[in-house]
Amino acid sequence: SIPLRDSLGISPQDESYYKAGVIKCKDGSKKFSRDQLNDEFCDCPDGTDEPGTSACPEGKFYCQNSGHAPLVVFSSRVNDGICDCCDGSDEYDGKVNCSNTCWEAGKVARDKLKKKIATYQDGLIIRNKEVEKAKLAIAKDEEELSKLTNEEKSLRELVAKLKEQKERIEKAENEEKLKKELEEKRLKEEAEKQAAKEKESIEASLQVESKDANEKVPEASTEVGENGKKTEVQHESASYDEHNEVLSRESPAQKFAKMTRNEDEETKPGNEDKLEHAQMPEQVSDDSSANAADAIHSEGQEHGSASTGGLSKEELGRLVASRWTGEKSAEKDVSPKDESQKVHTDDVAEPAEEEENYDSYNSDTEDDRYKYKDHEDEHKYDDEYDGDSDEEYSSDHADTADAADSYKSDDEYKSDHSEDTSTHGGLSWIDKIQQTVQHVLQSFNFFKTPVDLSDASRIKKEYDDLNSKLSKIQSRIHQLKEKNKHDFGNDKQFYSFYDQCFEYKENKYVYKVCPFKKATQNEGHSSTQLGRWDKFEDSYRTMVFANGDHCWNGPDRSLKVRLRCGLKNEVADVDEPSRCEYVAVLSTPAMCVEEKLKELKQKLADMNSSQQASHDEL
Amino acid sequence: WKKEEFRDCNQTPFCKRARTRAPHSIPSLSVSSLSLSDGAVSARLLPSQLLQSPTDSTPASPRALTLRLSVYTPGALRLEIDEDYSDPDAPSHRRFRVPDVLLPDVDDRHKLYLPRISSASPGVTSFYLPYGFEAVVQHEPFQIEVRRASNKEPILSFNSHGLFDFEQLRTNKSDGEDWEERFRSHTDTRPRGPQSISFDVSFHGADFVYGIPEHASTSLSLRPTRGPDVDFSEPYRLFNLDVFEYLHDSPFGLYGSIPFMLSHGTKSSSGFFWLNAAEMQIDVLAPGWDDPANPSPNRIDTLWMAEAGVVDAFFFVGPETKDVVGQYLSLTGTPAMPQHFAVGYHQCRWNYRDEEDVDSVDAGFDSHDIPYDVLWLDIEHTDGKRYFTWDKTLFPDPVGMQKRLAAKGRHMVTIVDPHVKRDDSFFLHKEATEKGYYVKDASGRDFDGWCWPGSSSYPDMLNPEIREWWSEKFLFENYKGSTPSLYIWNDMNEPSVFNGPEVTMPRDAVHYGDVEHREVHNAYGYYFHMASSIGVVKRGEGKDRPFVLSRAFFAGTQRYGAIWTGDNSADWDHLRASVPMILTLGLTGMTFSGADVGGFFGNPEPELLVRWYQLGAFYPFFRGHAHLDTKRREPWLFGEKNTALIREAVHVRYSLLPYFYTLFREASTSGLPIMRPLWLEFPQDKETFNNGEAFMVGPALLVQGIYQAGEKSVSVYLPGTESWYYLRNGVTYAGGRSHKMEVFEDGIPTFQKAGTIIPRKDRFRRSSTQMVNDPYTLGRTNLSKKKFSSECLIERVILLGLSANAKKAVIEPGNHEVDIELGPLSLRAGSSPVALTIRKPNVHVADDWTISIL
Repeated sequence: SIPLRDSLGISPQDESYYKAGVIKCKDGSKKFSRDQLNDEFCDCPDGTDEPGTSACPEGKFYCQNSGHAPLVVFSSRVNDGICDCCDGSDEYDGKVNCSNTCWEAGKVARDKLKKKIATYQDGLIIRNKEVEKAKLAIAKDEEELSKLTNEEKSLRELVAKLKEQKERIEKAENEEKLKKELEEKRLKEEAEKQAAKEKESIEASLQVESKDANEKVPEASTEVGENGKKTEVQHESASYDEHNEVLSRESPAQKFAKMTRNEDEETKPGNEDKLEHAQMPEQVSDDSSANAADAIHSEGQEHGSASTGGLSKEELGRLVASRWTGEKSAEKDVSPKDESQKVHTDDVAEPAEEEENYDSYNSDTEDDRYKYKDHEDEHKYDDEYDGDSDEEYSSDHADTADAADSYKSDDEYKSDHSEDTSTHGGLSWIDKIQQTVQHVLQSFNFFKTPVDLSDASRIKKEYDDLNSKLSKIQSRIHQLKEKNKHDFGNDKQFYSFYDQCFEYKENKYVYKVCPFKKATQNEGHSSTQLGRWDKFEDSYRTMVFANGDHCWNGPDRSLKVRLRCGLKNEVADVDEPSRCEYVAVLSTPAMCVEEKLKELKQKLADMNSSQQASHDEL
Repeated sequence: WKKEEFRDCNQTPFCKRARTRAPHSIPSLSVSSLSLSDGAVSARLLPSQLLQSPTDSTPASPRALTLRLSVYTPGALRLEIDEDYSDPDAPSHRRFRVPDVLLPDVDDRHKLYLPRISSASPGVTSFYLPYGFEAVVQHEPFQIEVRRASNKEPILSFNSHGLFDFEQLRTNKSDGEDWEERFRSHTDTRPRGPQSISFDVSFHGADFVYGIPEHASTSLSLRPTRGPDVDFSEPYRLFNLDVFEYLHDSPFGLYGSIPFMLSHGTKSSSGFFWLNAAEMQIDVLAPGWDDPANPSPNRIDTLWMAEAGVVDAFFFVGPETKDVVGQYLSLTGTPAMPQHFAVGYHQCRWNYRDEEDVDSVDAGFDSHDIPYDVLWLDIEHTDGKRYFTWDKTLFPDPVGMQKRLAAKGRHMVTIVDPHVKRDDSFFLHKEATEKGYYVKDASGRDFDGWCWPGSSSYPDMLNPEIREWWSEKFLFENYKGSTPSLYIWNDMNEPSVFNGPEVTMPRDAVHYGDVEHREVHNAYGYYFHMASSIGVVKRGEGKDRPFVLSRAFFAGTQRYGAIWTGDNSADWDHLRASVPMILTLGLTGMTFSGADVGGFFGNPEPELLVRWYQLGAFYPFFRGHAHLDTKRREPWLFGEKNTALIREAVHVRYSLLPYFYTLFREASTSGLPIMRPLWLEFPQDKETFNNGEAFMVGPALLVQGIYQAGEKSVSVYLPGTESWYYLRNGVTYAGGRSHKMEVFEDGIPTFQKAGTIIPRKDRFRRSSTQMVNDPYTLGRTNLSKKKFSSECLIERVILLGLSANAKKAVIEPGNHEVDIELGPLSLRAGSSPVALTIRKPNVHVADDWTISIL
């Protein structure tokens, strides 16, 4: 049946708006009479006068959908021959017959909604527990940090004292030693001189080897020049140098910087690169009119294609195809040299500045780790405190990564730590150490010569022990501070993510997402970094990992993890909608928030009442 | 762009030889035995000195050539020069004449029977050409001129600089001669030795020459390539190549070739078409190229060089450019009428990965209320680049997927390339191998080249039997997973061969009829496109117009489908170059063409993308496309503001669909391009002759592109003497001068010419399919001659250029009175009522009616 023109496409809230004799366009542009309402002619550009027809492009059509939920569709859907509303009200011109499917669709939707609500309810309970735990854990972290800070201060003073003594001892020892040595030296003088001479010459040649390629070029060409082509080659290499300078000056863009570096690296190893140097400047000067960016572009290509002469037909085909696809297979197949080039590319993919930071951070913790390992028996620090990008660590935890576990490990640290260092005589371990040091220092007689060897070694040992203890504490402080820097959400609901990684298997790949750290795609033993932790986005609904490994001919890899409410922390899907831009879905109780639950409940209530209404109608 | 991988003229012996030759430096030819037979002129051509002293010829001495001249309606002179195969010394091999490009019935339909020839003076023969022109053959030295019969003013001349050279076929090398050519790692055996042809053609009274696509250029006219004040330049090259990251401004040849040049000046327009599919190089010579002291204005000389083939050339007399285009298309055929959906917006990407991706992109258009008609799948949809197959993991249910799209009136296009994977378990390869349907290499084996699938072979599309076989692969029962809503895209058909010389097939590969690839190269993609297009027709039992997009093209491609300008880049220069490129294609018959919106390589800034949509909405072929490595760029991914701007741009196109469809209809009958240079509509307005920034869509709409980031204002030249209506606000602007226009982000400047009607449909739907019953809006500025055939009603007539006091209109028949009130120019929130609008005349579009304004 054709519905009443006056009510067509009008939502119940708007009914009164259309009651007037003369109606205003909602955008205030003009007025229209009641006969112009839904008369298939657009009077108001905003569509006010045609809620029920397709006449206004910007109009909206309301379908009641009794039995399901009301829907507002674009007016472009009205009488277009496609059933959009489950009650079929958007198709009323008789050209198609849309059956009313609201009852069935509504039931399905309600069931789905109920399930969702149940998930939110259960998830909310888990979330609240997690939030409580996180608050406690953060308080503990803070407590530990302040304690460690105090300990660090005392320890640092002791170490300083010991160091001072140690140095005095060493000085005394050295003086003694020197006397002896002078004696011996005189005897061996002749032989020593000879040896030193040889050593020097070796060192000198090593230095030349390690010189930067840019410096090396002129030397190399001079060598060539001795073979009779001096002037020409020198000229060429000069232009090559100049070219490099231009590049580093004029193309700060990362891409070009990378290429320059690539070249440098490429030319470093091997002796045959003299030949390459001799060739490349020629090509550059050919293109001298092009700007620097173009030049390097074509040069890079030239470099690749210069080698095409020696390629088999198949290799050439692959090489050319790879321009469009950026597939590495082509390069791999060409020669091992290209393979190494690829590694270079990957290496330089990270912005230099960041790389430095990252590296220094990494090397700090790596050093620390070694120290832990060296002293593992003594101190029983767990690798877990290291908490950084250690593969072993991550894989140990990936499967069991569960909030309770990581809290437990924190506690373990506490108990181990205290057991080891503070159980004696009611004194804190630091006090005890202070006493020991005092004792050691007092018992040592400085003015005794020759130095008492056992006393000296005691002091040295004490210094070494305490110094390593100090660096462990410092590194733990560093870790805690790093951790504290992170944003764990308004309720600290993501605190437990800090010590967890989530895995997802798809075909041959295993994806590993470690929030606040990094995300990787692993295939067998090889691992590609999809991104390092960047931030939360979209009001904590998305985790962003950025600046992952570089994609050939593409962007640096990145991953966005969309979070949704679920009872367990698990990755539900990983996808790559654009090349090297990944998207994953992670379900977690942390997303099961109360407001959303209320919203869903309201929606269900609305649906139920609408169902009731339609039921009554029937 | 890898310069060193492609040959320049100096590395191409025939080009180098011809280009460095001085005028009149080779022995001239003389015409002998001229006679009229069977309504055409025939004669023999011999070197002048040979004619004077016929001695017994040494083996190296040239044989006579045959000359044939015939006349075609509606205004063309055909010139054919070939070997004299009746000569006992002539080799048995025949030079290649390109088949199936001229309309099959062209002689029946258009060839005129010449009743007489006249010789006003000795050594000169002349005869009649249509439209008051005549052809004049000078016997000694040989030269042809087309001139106005009344005042003997020359229009076109051939060999007036004595540069005609014809390298005859030989079977034996002379001593020490090397026929082989080497380029990079490739060797071309050239078993028949050098066989090139070159000659000069002069366009008299021309200010500019245009045409000979495909080249990327920001200039609409062809810039001179040689002569005073010309920087070093290559000649324009016509050699179909798959060029990686092509430059936006270069005479270098791209994916297609149409050896048709047009000239235009205030006095006359003319054209020249050389039907030859071998590599061609064309110089446009700057005045004074031959004699810097005496530059001759009002004439443009050109030098044409081809590696092989024969002279089969047409001179078009005009006198208007529209006539020249029509004369060319009377021989090669008018553009095919596309299906309505193909005129809508196409969404493409390399690649939509799987069915889920397809569904979600489709849903994205719906949820953002952006119409589109066709979703495209690139090579990754196949099972290992075996065309006609599907990747079973990514596309397990192609039929279901197409049906979901079809339910919303949308279509799908899949790619089918000419390289066939050499895999014995692949049915296509198996069949082609067994039947011997592949192009052969110089040693007679199936040519094996490298392309997307790896080792590949190429069906020999020159052979009609093989085209027939290929076309049947498109039948629903043969192309598994295809449905009637699926159409086709031919890519890589230059052909692209990754490990071949210049990324294409070796010139000594052998085709059907012992034709060398060098002879047919530029038409390979054309025959492939033809076979695919016929396949789609066959599939629909002839009731369904085909849609097949091709990248390679040749003269005649317009009969088989659309083309696009290949792998452009996401930068402003490529946006700018797209306009001269598409205009040039339109002038040479290839009306259904477009450039990838957004640019194929690279990631466009949102502003560039928006501007590209705003311009692309006026391309005859309107498709967004992107490279595999680029970021996603579906219209809604750049924030709400940009989504709205792109939606608006697409809406402009959809609103103009009735106008576009009408223009396609016009193109299919008259051949007039859809997107036209301003000078095509205003041939006397010199200001427009080299304007490649603005263009006409049909006769009524002028569009000015915006080609720079952050542009605040733009100078728009409005041609002619009549006024123009600015479609943003209805304000009138005078013609014949430039106007500085403020630039807005929500659209590019468009103007409607006085005295025109633009039919629109302002109701937007999901796709053009649902618009079929929607009423029209007429944007009318005075006179009308437009005709439509439809059951549709007119819902609104917008009147520009009328005094504001008109209140009522009367519609006849019926003496039905309707209101006139102020209304907006377009139905968008916030548009202010600026134009007089006749409200609901409700007359049928197809009926005769009048509206009188009271």
